[in-house]
Amino acid sequence: MQTLLQFIANGVVVGAFYALSALGLTLILGLMRVVNFAHGEFYMLGGVLGWWTTNRLGLDFFSGLALVIAIMGVFGWLVDRLLIERVRDQGEEAGILLTIGLAIFLSNTALLTVGTTPLKVEGPMAPGAVFIAGAVVTKARIFAVLTCAVLMAASWLLINRTRLGAAMRATFQDPMAAQLAGIRASNIYACTFALGTVITATAGMLLGSIYSAQVSIGGLVSLKAFVVVILGGMGSFAGAIVGGLLLGLTEALWGGYVASGWVDIIGFLLVIVILIFRPYGLFSRRAERP
Amino acid sequence: MKIERNVLITVVAVAALLGAVLRDQYVLHIAIMVLFYAVLATSLNLLVGYVGEFSLGHTAFLGMGAYTAALCSTHLGWPMWITLPAGGIVAGITGLVVGAITLRLQGPYFVIVTLAFAEVLRLAAGNWIAVTNGPMGLAGIAQPAWLAGRDIIEAKVFYYYVALVLLAVAVYLSYRLVYSNAGRAAVAVRENRYVAQSVGIRPLTYALTALGLGAFLTGMAGGFYAHYISFVGPEVFAFPFMVSMIIMVLVGGKGTLLGPLLGALLVTFLEEYLREAKELRLSIFGLAVMAVVLFMPRGLMGFLLRRREQRAEAVVPVTRPESAA
Amino acid sequence: MSNFHRAFLLAALLGAVGCAQAQDAIKVGVIQPLTGSVADNGMAFVNGAKLAVAKQNAAGGVLGKKIELVIEDGQCQPAPSVSAAQKLLDRDKVPVLVGAFCSSATAAVMPIAEQRHVPLLTGVSSKADLTDKGNKYFFRSAETDRVMSLTFSKILAEKLQLKNVAYIGVNDDWGRGSVEDFAKEMERLGVKTAMKEYYEHGTTDYYTLLTKLQASKADGVFVAAETQDGSILVKQFKELGLTTKLFGVGSWATPEFAKLAGTASEGIYAAVPYASSIATDANKDFVNRYAAAYKSKPGKYSAAGYNALNIVMQAITRAGKAEPQAIRDALYKTDYAAPNGHYRFTDKGEGYGYDAVLVQLKSGEPVVVTMTEAGKP
Repeated sequence: MQTLLQFIANGVVVGAFYALSALGLTLILGLMRVVNFAHGEFYMLGGVLGWWTTNRLGLDFFSGLALVIAIMGVFGWLVDRLLIERVRDQGEEAGILLTIGLAIFLSNTALLTVGTTPLKVEGPMAPGAVFIAGAVVTKARIFAVLTCAVLMAASWLLINRTRLGAAMRATFQDPMAAQLAGIRASNIYACTFALGTVITATAGMLLGSIYSAQVSIGGLVSLKAFVVVILGGMGSFAGAIVGGLLLGLTEALWGGYVASGWVDIIGFLLVIVILIFRPYGLFSRRAERP
Repeated sequence: MKIERNVLITVVAVAALLGAVLRDQYVLHIAIMVLFYAVLATSLNLLVGYVGEFSLGHTAFLGMGAYTAALCSTHLGWPMWITLPAGGIVAGITGLVVGAITLRLQGPYFVIVTLAFAEVLRLAAGNWIAVTNGPMGLAGIAQPAWLAGRDIIEAKVFYYYVALVLLAVAVYLSYRLVYSNAGRAAVAVRENRYVAQSVGIRPLTYALTALGLGAFLTGMAGGFYAHYISFVGPEVFAFPFMVSMIIMVLVGGKGTLLGPLLGALLVTFLEEYLREAKELRLSIFGLAVMAVVLFMPRGLMGFLLRRREQRAEAVVPVTRPESAA
Repeated sequence: MSNFHRAFLLAALLGAVGCAQAQDAIKVGVIQPLTGSVADNGMAFVNGAKLAVAKQNAAGGVLGKKIELVIEDGQCQPAPSVSAAQKLLDRDKVPVLVGAFCSSATAAVMPIAEQRHVPLLTGVSSKADLTDKGNKYFFRSAETDRVMSLTFSKILAEKLQLKNVAYIGVNDDWGRGSVEDFAKEMERLGVKTAMKEYYEHGTTDYYTLLTKLQASKADGVFVAAETQDGSILVKQFKELGLTTKLFGVGSWATPEFAKLAGTASEGIYAAVPYASSIATDANKDFVNRYAAAYKSKPGKYSAAGYNALNIVMQAITRAGKAEPQAIRDALYKTDYAAPNGHYRFTDKGEGYGYDAVLVQLKSGEPVVVTMTEAGKP
């Protein structure tokens, strides 16, 4: 029984992490319809910059995080204005290719700059374990899960309860109408992309402090994030949470009771099964693509 | 249409002549890789260029073909001229199965689910030790018996010609598909799905045809790879292969038959020359991809075709009617 | 001429210039992973190799000429390693090859070496069956999983008094091979197998796997993992509060591992062919010179590169000329005094006679527990 509890605890924690890493992607994918293949690399950059600020500059976790957010926000803004803007009207393909190229460039340049060794990111709290009903969870992980919840709530509030959020939703519903209403569409696009980038980078730094920041992690993170987004439906926050938890728990239980080696497959199989029966994800509000 | 056909025939003829002339091992190896990639790019182009759906799972077919050929060769002892079509057929069937499931989706969903298929196959190949020998892979795939005892140059020339025949078959079949009713229907679907449906074209049928053919060709290429490299591991399903294929189709120009050939040539050369730059190689590659997308979205062929159009326009002056005062 | 033509010409010129380099040197071809997930270890190998060559060149080189390393990136994969080998043989015309790190990559290069009658020495590939293929141009100066399991299983079973052992390995040919070989040996000694599990390289979260370990009630766990994965696994092992005795093979005695794992590495046993704390004079000298050049202590891969190049250079000297056949024949007669023992080759090309050590990590340093000589297989 205790083993089962531990598996469930593991699954919930990892699931929350998956949900957080997918949040930025679902925002960009759902609102901007851009398939950002460099998503994993933004996550990686968050981790690497997190290492740089905490280890090289000697800042503590929170100050370092603030700096990382600032840097990645500007970076996201620039990527959108300089790169994505130019291919926005060319269909999805161009965006996919552009971001694949960006991903290759970022991951290899990072490799050249910092090397392959895993990098240590200082955590927000001292190491230590906590026992919940007999299952072990470290303090750092609990903090990370709470941060996920906070970030998700904050993002939802931003999109649904602020003027900026209203402007975003307007622009993505109908860019022309929004512009007629006085909203500068290009700024909104850049802002949204920057927001997605910042959330992803935060996830990277936070999870980097629990595991370690690795330059090569980008591809895997992108894949898992895509799985979560498809499971939950693009653009749906609730979907990202449910999708993440579903993935995390399934992986933990499968890996625990069947075989660890096959763990990664289960996510993809889930995606294929879901797409056969519910092509737009578990939570998508759309029934047909316009 | 005629020009394209003539250019294609010339290219194949030139390549055939080259095979009789080249004797440097390293250059032959590069040439064989160019031909191999050209087959892959041509088959991917059928889906990406003509049907208009962006697939990131094409390596699934490459891998299925490679593993089929490898298993048939090592376990059943079949010779190469049977294992290659066998690989193609298995891959083709895989393509139809995958297509039946995925082609109902569009846009980003299609992209991701095709990627998911390739990943599932990669992980299965890496873990199903009993059949695929997992990460250890299948080694020692047999070379054709009459090659034993011949020197290496002759062996390489043989493989060169096999690859060339594969490419000729691929180009021919693609040409026939594109310029048939089925091909035109596929293009109609690509241009405007709803209008195509309104005139009675069922998108799924034509997309499946293109995918099935593309998968068959890729599968044969996979079988070729298995025999040439004589080792097959889960890495044939991996993403880097896919990226190379996509880049070749794009750089060359999708939606044309010549484009993928050009793309394969350029990208293989670029990769080999960038070897000198070693660590910088992949960073430069990423930049190159971005540059192509930003500045040459229709690839090299698109660029050349546009130049031709522009020059044609310049020759025929456009006269504007004098506006009534 | 168009831009495309210009670029092509430039590239061709660059290639030509690259070929017309130092004429009066003996070239040695090296294929190692310089990019990819084991790039760190590949670079360590290359550093050790460069150190050996620098030392030899400072002492006058070999046969009066300088040794020049031509290093290519094999990426630890068969196809790129094969391309690299062909480039080295055709364009650089090297008389001897060293590489290609991962056993599957080496296995792909071996037939080429045999076809072209050029000797191939691997300092790292540890899959036992490489030397069973009857390839007369292949030499291995690395420990094999078979040798390690034979040498250490007895010590581990007795010293650590293990009755029930779990096995965890990375899902590649090395991880699987190590687990299978060790499990077989331990079972022969009467130690039960609690579980055998594999994980994909690059996994970051091992909690599920470790929970399974805890549930299996094993009193010892054998881990075949490389630096990156191993350090994370070990940290999470300690986080979960597991007390199973942990011993590993791979690069566990390297300073990189100790630094990454931090305090979690305390008390772990490792069976390694080399540790920087081996207390012979030759090793102390090697460690000092390596530390002076690269600012860190050498680990298993650095020593492997150092030894491999020294073996090759000695063979060239013994052969009297930089010809592949002569070098190969000379390699069979190797008796090389390394920082970690004496290397000799059987007539299958299998290395033996070097020392293998069982170390325990204390405060980040590998403390030697026992040292034995790897006997002739």
